[in-house]
Formats: sequence, structure tokens, C-alpha cells
Amino acid sequence: MARYAMVIDTRSCIGCHSCTVACRVHNNLPVDMIYNPVTTVGPTGVYPNLHMAHIPLLCMHCEQTPCVNSCPTGASQRREDGIVWIEESKCVGCKTCVMVCPYGARVSNHEKGTVQKCDFCFDRVDKGSIPRCVQSCHQKARIFGDLDDETSEVFKLVNGEHAVRLLDDLGTEPYVFYIYGLEG
Amino acid sequence: MNRNVDLEQEGIEIKKSCCYFCHENCGVLAYVKDGKVIAIEGDPEFPTNAGGLCCRGNIALKHIDHPARINYPQKRVGKKGEGKWETISWDQALSEIAAKLTQIKDESGAEAVATAGGTARTDDWARRRFMNLFGSPNGFHNAHLCWMPTFMIETAICGWSPFDLDMGNSRVIILWGQNPGASGMPAMHHLTELQRKGLKIVVIDPRYTETAAKADLWLPLRPGSDCALALAMLHVIIYEGLADDAFIAENCVGYEELATHVADFSPEWAAPLTWLTEEQIREVATIYATNKPGNIQWGTTLDQQGRTAGGAIHARALLRAVTGNLDRIGSDLLSGPSLDSITEEEMECNEYLTDEQKAKQIGSDRFKLMTWPGYSKIAENTRKVWGKAPTAEWMCEAHPPSVFNAILTGKPYSVRALLVSATNPVNSYGNSKVVLEALRKVEFMVTCDYWMTPTAALSDYVLPIAGALERPTMTTVYGCADFILASQRAIQPMYERRNDYNFWKDLGIQLGQKEMWPWETVEDAYHYKLEPCGYGLDTYDEFVEFYRFHFPEREYNKSQRQGFATPSGKIELYSSVLKDLGYSPLPEYVGPVENEIDHPELAKEYPLVLSTGNGFMPFHHSEQFQIKDLRYLRHEPYFQINPVTAAEYSIKEDDWVWIETQRGRMKQKADLTQAVAPRVIITQRGWWFPEREVVEPDLGGCLESNTNVLTSTRDEDCDPMSGTWANRGLLCKIYKVTATDEKGGN
Amino acid sequence: MAQKHETWGWMLAVDFFFAGMGGGMLVIAGLSDLFLGVGMTSVLGNLLGPCFVGLGACLLVLELGRPFQSWRVFMNPKAILTFGAWNMLFAIGSGFIYTSFGIGALPWSNSIPVREFFAVTNVIFGMIVATYPGVLLARHKSRPFWTGTGIMGLFLISSLVTGGAAHMISQYVYGAISSIVSSWGIVDASSSAVLRGLPFFVAGLLALQLILWIGYVWIKHSGSTKRETIAAERWISGNYAMPFKGGFLLLGTFLPLVLVLIPGDLMKGLGALLVILGGLIMRLLVVYSGQDRTWLPGEQKYRSRLPLGHEAFLKAWNSK
Repeated sequence: MARYAMVIDTRSCIGCHSCTVACRVHNNLPVDMIYNPVTTVGPTGVYPNLHMAHIPLLCMHCEQTPCVNSCPTGASQRREDGIVWIEESKCVGCKTCVMVCPYGARVSNHEKGTVQKCDFCFDRVDKGSIPRCVQSCHQKARIFGDLDDETSEVFKLVNGEHAVRLLDDLGTEPYVFYIYGLEG
Repeated sequence: MNRNVDLEQEGIEIKKSCCYFCHENCGVLAYVKDGKVIAIEGDPEFPTNAGGLCCRGNIALKHIDHPARINYPQKRVGKKGEGKWETISWDQALSEIAAKLTQIKDESGAEAVATAGGTARTDDWARRRFMNLFGSPNGFHNAHLCWMPTFMIETAICGWSPFDLDMGNSRVIILWGQNPGASGMPAMHHLTELQRKGLKIVVIDPRYTETAAKADLWLPLRPGSDCALALAMLHVIIYEGLADDAFIAENCVGYEELATHVADFSPEWAAPLTWLTEEQIREVATIYATNKPGNIQWGTTLDQQGRTAGGAIHARALLRAVTGNLDRIGSDLLSGPSLDSITEEEMECNEYLTDEQKAKQIGSDRFKLMTWPGYSKIAENTRKVWGKAPTAEWMCEAHPPSVFNAILTGKPYSVRALLVSATNPVNSYGNSKVVLEALRKVEFMVTCDYWMTPTAALSDYVLPIAGALERPTMTTVYGCADFILASQRAIQPMYERRNDYNFWKDLGIQLGQKEMWPWETVEDAYHYKLEPCGYGLDTYDEFVEFYRFHFPEREYNKSQRQGFATPSGKIELYSSVLKDLGYSPLPEYVGPVENEIDHPELAKEYPLVLSTGNGFMPFHHSEQFQIKDLRYLRHEPYFQINPVTAAEYSIKEDDWVWIETQRGRMKQKADLTQAVAPRVIITQRGWWFPEREVVEPDLGGCLESNTNVLTSTRDEDCDPMSGTWANRGLLCKIYKVTATDEKGGN
Repeated sequence: MAQKHETWGWMLAVDFFFAGMGGGMLVIAGLSDLFLGVGMTSVLGNLLGPCFVGLGACLLVLELGRPFQSWRVFMNPKAILTFGAWNMLFAIGSGFIYTSFGIGALPWSNSIPVREFFAVTNVIFGMIVATYPGVLLARHKSRPFWTGTGIMGLFLISSLVTGGAAHMISQYVYGAISSIVSSWGIVDASSSAVLRGLPFFVAGLLALQLILWIGYVWIKHSGSTKRETIAAERWISGNYAMPFKGGFLLLGTFLPLVLVLIPGDLMKGLGALLVILGGLIMRLLVVYSGQDRTWLPGEQKYRSRLPLGHEAFLKAWNSK
């Protein structure tokens, strides 16, 4: 069984927001919904000794899923391959998952009354393709693959580079990893 | 592509199209069913973008049928700018426009008809062909702001602009006033990959940009001081033993004159002018001269500096020659024009425009480099060596500010008609208030556009134009590269939209040019251009489907075979071409257009340094403000200011602030950031508000946050050679917007 | 707009308030019956308990994005919200049945073991309903003001103290109208006996509430993480300082603490009303403080620049 993961190489990301828009178009989202914002840290320091990093955010597809655990309807689910997703017909829009997610990855669709989120584009992944944001990234700053496959690029990056997880202290065990080019 | 769309259903055709929202023209695969595009994605096989698409590329399907698109020809029925339109047929529009143009030509001469273009997203050889056959020399674009002064100065010096960068074999690249991280995604990707393999990236930019943040060396210079930096770099290279003597001896003339000329331009001299240290200047010169081969990438910054542009571009161009970073493996190569295909210049019918009419080109009496006097001279040189000339459209144009002035003043003669295609001059040309007055005043205006822009709103006719996915595209770097990237249209234009090619062709036919337009469709014309390549195909679409690219084998050391296309056959460090045109044969130092040293009185009233015009995601120039998915990400205009300066003016994050120059004022919100030096203000470009009513007098708030209200197009502020005007290196003052003082734009 | 500060709205806060108060009333009714004897709380109070829980449940449904699908919240037994939903249902049922024993006209009103059974279920379900919003919030590790067990205690105390106050008011009201009610002949008027110790019980809880809340905010402020400190600052000197200190601590806790100890029904009644007001203010503040998520790098600035939702461009081009 695969265990899907994404590595985000912030050394390459230039903060162009292509992934944000590609995702919105692919998922046909209302204008006020964003699954994967790209934030900017900095420039920090004092001109001209500066540093800047862009941080693409998305659902972390955690191993420990407060969202799935707290969903009263069973709409939020985690597949065996690790993809966390929402079965829309079951969601009542109680926003428990929105509140419990430490990563702000879940958003209400006010037109439908449900909560939605990134699901690694499993419509594409199940056909052997890659998530839309990954494909759209000019900088190849997003790398998607199977962490159980030792030959995969994500496996090599997670185990070879200094890859960190966001809010690691919360114990959610995200499967989105960040390679930081922080502080030079 | 939308996840609800089944891409495996019956009857889907995949078209090899391209993105059309900037001139990178990234490859796009379009999934077409029953004449509709149902999905798009980046073409993984395309050499530049390799499957990537930026935010603009991704919204193609939101753009193609946006409710605000103009889909049928519109004729003004109310007062100018009142917003009252009648939908008419193309036939009616063309015959009425033709009749009016005929009348103006009969009464005032063909030169009374001018045409304005924007960025390279039209088939401009067709525009030039029409204008030449009609008899007017007064076509223009934002060419001056966009590389063309660089192209022409470099071509004058070494016979073609060496814009073909052999980065794969290079060790260092200087990105001079260029920020591919926000404007050229494919280039940024290749730079990032090469940097991982050891390529050093040097960024020269006053702003800590997306690209500067990734650079190995960032030179944060004073806005508009590039000329001093380039001259000092020449000084260091020549006087500190870093010059490539063998290359110079073999390939250059005028080295002695150059060495004498730059003797005084030491790093000590340049440091206070550039706000850099002497060490920084030595370091960048040394890195470039000693990590050979190396590249200098062209950015448009230098082209946008007005009076100082020519000297800066000239000095920068000479850096390649004195270091031998030219025409050699890994350096900046002279691709030359396409020798295999018919070039755009060869499609332009320039020979049909009489010398008498050429002489009437507005601005050619003062700014000779990018007008007929300079272009003819340079084209003569390139024809001798390459057999071909640079594209005249873009490289040889009427001086835009002078045309707007001619509309307003009738001098040197009155311009009565303006044909606008693919541009919104109110927001994209310099000194917007003057441009807007000219557009209000011009007797007859036709605009070809996707949207009802402020410019379109002032027109007599607005014609619906085919956009991305609706048109084929041949990417040739303004017709000046030897390679071709070819893309097809995914679908025929929706509604009654047409290619701009068809507009010029059909208008030409109405005006008696029928035998000169043998190509029914633009594909027919492209096929004609490609035929000499010898692929033996029947149609352009076949070329796209089977080949898509035409890349001649890369040739190094071309000059050893054919020399350089200059009068002496060498690289002219002392330029005979510029001298013959009446300009300095060596790069002169000129300070920023407005600066505290040359203009101390001005600096008292306008104490801050202003730079305008840089691009930012997700918009391109003044476009895409209607696309909500993009606008949501940046829905208001912001300028950058250092927190130290902001504190002096009691300006807080997100405050609305007036920014004012001698020309006028406009407002943007404050982004307090260390990315700019104290005392420097950097504004966003392009802003207007299409969600408002685009009618007089507000015209969609076209002046309110428009940075071009601030820029200068006075003759004295323009570069004497090219005539380019001043977007950068200006002086400004700022003050907070108050509740009683928030009305925009003046 | 949703992207900016997505959080639960006022309806959930009011749900927590009513459900908590109702739960508290059930607990008090059950405990006093079991340990102090029958009829210590008014029939009106006993009736209002499950009504308030039901009102809370209605607000919870209205807060949902798809209210007509609300039955689905009973579907995941592992989820705290499902657990809470079932308990609200049981509490409402238990409360109404227990209340029915105060209606003398009903045949089972004298069946003591059955009544005591429902007194016990009142205590159990009431206790859960009174506490579970706190349990729910305590599990939000990335909401720095909520996270940790402390919030459970604060919710429990507030539920009990508002429940006590509501019983006090019920008793006064029921006392005032008991002669009318008795004349209907269906309710046993003897069940209107007043639980004399209730004001002291309420006063004790108020004192505890005062101490615990000051302690809670102080611990958050000097707490283990910077994000907790920042979240607490909103209550100490930020935009919550006025409603928290003036509204909840002074008007909703300290002042009623004095008032309920003053002899005389008017002062006690006024005090009880203030207690209820304080409980409402507290729920609103706590629920809205959920907007203070643990921000990811750069996230706050990113979201602060997004549209608020009223911008003209969002409304343009919607025809066609």
C-alpha cells in the first residue's frame, strides 16, 4: 500500500501563487475558498542583509487526524494510502474539523454548506497522475510521491535532506514535509 | 483542468496550444470537445515551461468566456466615454472605419493615422504591413520600455543583440534589473536548476525581489544609478587587469578610446552615486570577469530609466566585449535573425513606405536610434552580414509621448486617428494624465481588445479580439531570434471575436490592399513563413502537431566566420554607428532623471526616490484585474516602503498614501518592508478598477492608483538616443490619504 | 470572509450557554432530589432545564452548514460531538421525564424509585452536557486559549452556577405564580418548596469562578508557549479586556456574588440574572477566541491582505 506524501522545497519556491490558482481552478472553488495559500516570511533582517522564504500551505494529510477523529458524521475520512478527504454528501458543515485542524487547511463552502479541503487530487492520483498543484509548479518546489517506496524522490528527500514538519509538537505527524532554506 | 471534467470521454481532441497572458507563451495542452475547450494543462513536452503554468496561465478558461469580455463589434452612440454602444457587424465596422481613415488620409495625409500597441501579444508584422501599405510611419508600442533600446544599442555595437544566453555552459549570470521570479517563470526554473549545478547568480536590483532572495550575490543599488555602476565595472575590468586582451585584440575596435573614457569612473566615484560600497562594485566586476564564461541577462529596467538609459545600456553592453563573454561557448550568443524561415521583418513590407513618409515619423528628428534614421543604418549593417534586418515593428517606431503630444498640440502636425490594439495606454504609457487627455481629444479612435478598458471606453469603435486558445502563436522573440516555437489554436474564436491579423488584413482590403494580403487565415501566413524551412508540410497545424519547434543548431564563434555586423566588422567599443547618428560613441555618464545631486531644489520638495513599473504576480501589466481568482490574491494596490521611512511619515501598514511627483499624484496602500532601502518608494504598476463603471469621468479609476501618473515623458527626461521615458530613478513625496482628500488621480 | 478568520459563530456560543445552563439545572435538580429530598427545586426549573438543553440543540442545528442533514451528527461514535449530541438528547429526555414526577395529576408521580432513577440520569447526562463543550474545546491543540484541561473546569462551573441561578429565578417566578398554577389542579403545589441553600451554593461557585478565571488567564499568559501568551493578551489588554473584566468578572461574577448574599428576593433575583448574563458573555468570548489559531509562518499577513467579502470586484460580473 502506498503512503502518499508531499515534500515542499522552500529553497525553490518563489511565491508565485500558481499552485493556489491551479488548485482553485481544478477544484472549481468559489472565489473566497483557498485550499493551499502561499505565505511569505520576511524579508527578515535589516536592509540589505535580508532573508525571505515562501511557505506553500495545504492539508498536511496527517497520520494522527484530529479532523477525522472529531467529525461527528463520518464524512472526514483517511484512506489507507494516507489521503485525508471529505465525503461531501455526509458533511453537515459543523466546522468541528475546521476548528480542530492546526493548519487552517479546511474551509467552509458557503454555497454548499459543507467543509472542503485538499485531497491530494486523488481523482488524478488514482489514475497514476500527480496533484494539480504539483504539476503546475514551474519551480518543481512541490514533490509528490509514495513514502513507502524507497526509490521515490519524496523518500529520498525526507530521509536525505533536513525535512521538517509544521507544528511538529502537536503530534499530528503530517505527511507534508518542508525543506527549509531558512537563514541562508 | 477541472476535476469534474472527464478527460477520458469520447470525442476529445488534445490541441497543442499556448498560454497568451504574457509573452513567454508557455506550452498548453487544450482538451477540446465539440468546439469547446473543456480543460487545459501545461504541456510537459514544451521546452520552456515543461508542464508548469503560472497563476495567469491557469485561469485561461475563466478568461475565455468571462462575462466582461467584448464579443461583438461595438460602435459608440453616445458621447465619447459615456458608455453607450450599439452592436454592429464586422462588415459595417470595417467599412465605416475604412471610410473615416480614407477621409483623414485625403485631408491630412496618411501620417495623421497612428497606431498604439502594447506588449508582444499580437501579430505585429501584420499591423506594420497595414501601416506601411497605408502610408503612415506612425506605429508605436511600449517598445521603448521593453528591451528595444537595449536591442538597438547592442546591435549598433556588435551587429545583433546577444540575447541568446548559453546558460547551460555558463558559470555566472548577472540578472540586471530583472526579476524572473515574478515575471518569467520558465527562466526562473532553469536558473534554479543551473544554480544547483553551480551557476552563480548575481542580481542587480534596488529591491529585494523574489529572485534577489535566491541570488548568490545581490547588489542593492540606488534606483536609476545603473549607468554609474556599469561604467565603474568597466573601469575595474579595464584598470585592474581583468579584461580579456586576446578577445579584444581579435574582435574589438576602439579599446584605447574606451579605456581613456572610463579612466575617471572608478568605484570610488561610483560608490556614492549607486549607494554601493567600492568593494561591492569591485566584487561584481571581478565575479563577472573571472568566472568565465558568463552571461548578462537583459532586463527591461535599464530601458525604463529615461535620460540615463542609453548610457547605462551602452556601458552594460560593453562589459561583455571587454571580458570576452560574447559569441563564445557559455556566453551571450548572437543568434541573429532566422535564416531558415521568412522573418517578421520580411512580412512587414517596409519597402512600400516611401522615404518621404519615413521622414515624417514623429520623434525621428530627435530620437534617432529607434526611428527610421537609426534603424535604416543598423538594418543596412545587419543585412550585409546576416542578409536580414531586425523587425521594424518594435525596433523602428514613432516616439509615443510625441504622438500623444501631437494629438494635443497639432505639432509637428496633427494626428487625427489612433488605432489601438492590445494596449490600454492610460495605464501603460508614461505620464498618464497627458495620455488620457490625448485619448479624450483624438478625433477618431478604434480599439481592438478583450475588455472595455478605459482606453476602449473612449473609442469610437471597439472590436472583439480572439485571445488565448483562440489563436495560433509563433514565438520568435519579436522576430529577432533564429528559433521558432509554434502553437496552434485550440478552437476558433468564440462569438464574433477575430484575430488582430484579420482586423489588419480586412481593414487593408477595405482600403484597396487586397492583392497584398494573400493569406486568408493567420495560419496560412505562418505556413508561408515556415515553408523555406523545408519540412514539406501542407499546413501550419501539421507543423505544430508533428514538430512544434524549429531550433537551428547552435553555432559558437559565428563572428570568426562572418565578422560582426558593424561598419568595421568588429565589435565597436567606440561606436561609429552612434557617432554617425550624432550621439556619443562611448557611454556617457548621466545621473538618474531626478536626483538630489543634480536637482537639489527639486529634492527638497520631493525627497524620496521613486521606482515604478516592476511586475508582480498575479497580474501582467494592466491586465487580469477582472479575473476574480487572481484578484482575490491581491485585490488592492500596494507600494513598498522601508519601515524607517514609514515611521518618519507616521505611515502604518495598510495605510492609503498619496505618492506625488511633479506630474501628479496617485494612491496605493503601504507595505512596510525591509525589501527596499530607506528613502526609496517602489510602486505597483498597472492598477485600474474594472469592477467600477468604466465611463467618464472616472473611467474605472484609471488614474487613482496608476503609477504612470508619476512617470515623466518630457523630452529632456527621455533618452536622447532611443527616446525612452522615465519610469525609474524619479523623486517623489508621500503623505497619508485623509477622509476629505481621497479622490483619485490628480 | 471565510478565508480570513473561519470560526464558529454566535449561535454555537449561545448553544453552549443554554445547553450548559440546562445541564447545570438538571444536575442541581437531580442532586437535591437524591440528597436533600423531593421537591427542593421548582417544577418550572425542572422543566426549563431540558428546555434550555433543547434550545441549545436547536441553535447547534442552525449553526450547521446543512441543517436538514443534522441527523448525521449522531453517526460517528468516536467523535466528541456525536457523544455530545446523544447526551443532549438523553438529557432532554431525562429532564422531561423527571419533571413529569412533579405533575401530581400524572399516575406515576408517586413512584419514588422510578423518580430517583431519573434523578440519577439527570445528574449523569446533565453533568456531561454541562462539561462537554469544555471537553470539546480543550482538545483543540492549535487554539491556544482553549487547549488544556482548564477550560473544562471553567465550563462546568459556569454551567452549574448559571443552572443554579436559573433555578433561583425559577423558584421566585414559580413561587409568585404557584397559587394560580395550583388552581389548575394538575401540579402538586407542595413541590414548590424552596431550596434555601441555593444562593449560598451559587455564591460559593461564583467565588470559585472568580478565582479560577483569574488564575486561568494568568496561567495562559505566563504559559508554556508564546502563542498562549499572545492569546491571553487579548483578554488582559486587548479587545476582550473590557467585556471580560467589566462584563464577565465584575458584572457577571463579583457583583452577583455580593447580591445573592444580600437578604431579600429582589437582590437575589437581580444577582441571579447577572450570573446568567455573565455566563452568556463568557461563552461568546471563549468561542470567539477560537479565531486565535496557532498561526503558521507568514499566515497572518497573508490572510490580512485577503478581501473581507464586501469588495466591489467580488460582486461584479456575476450576471450571465
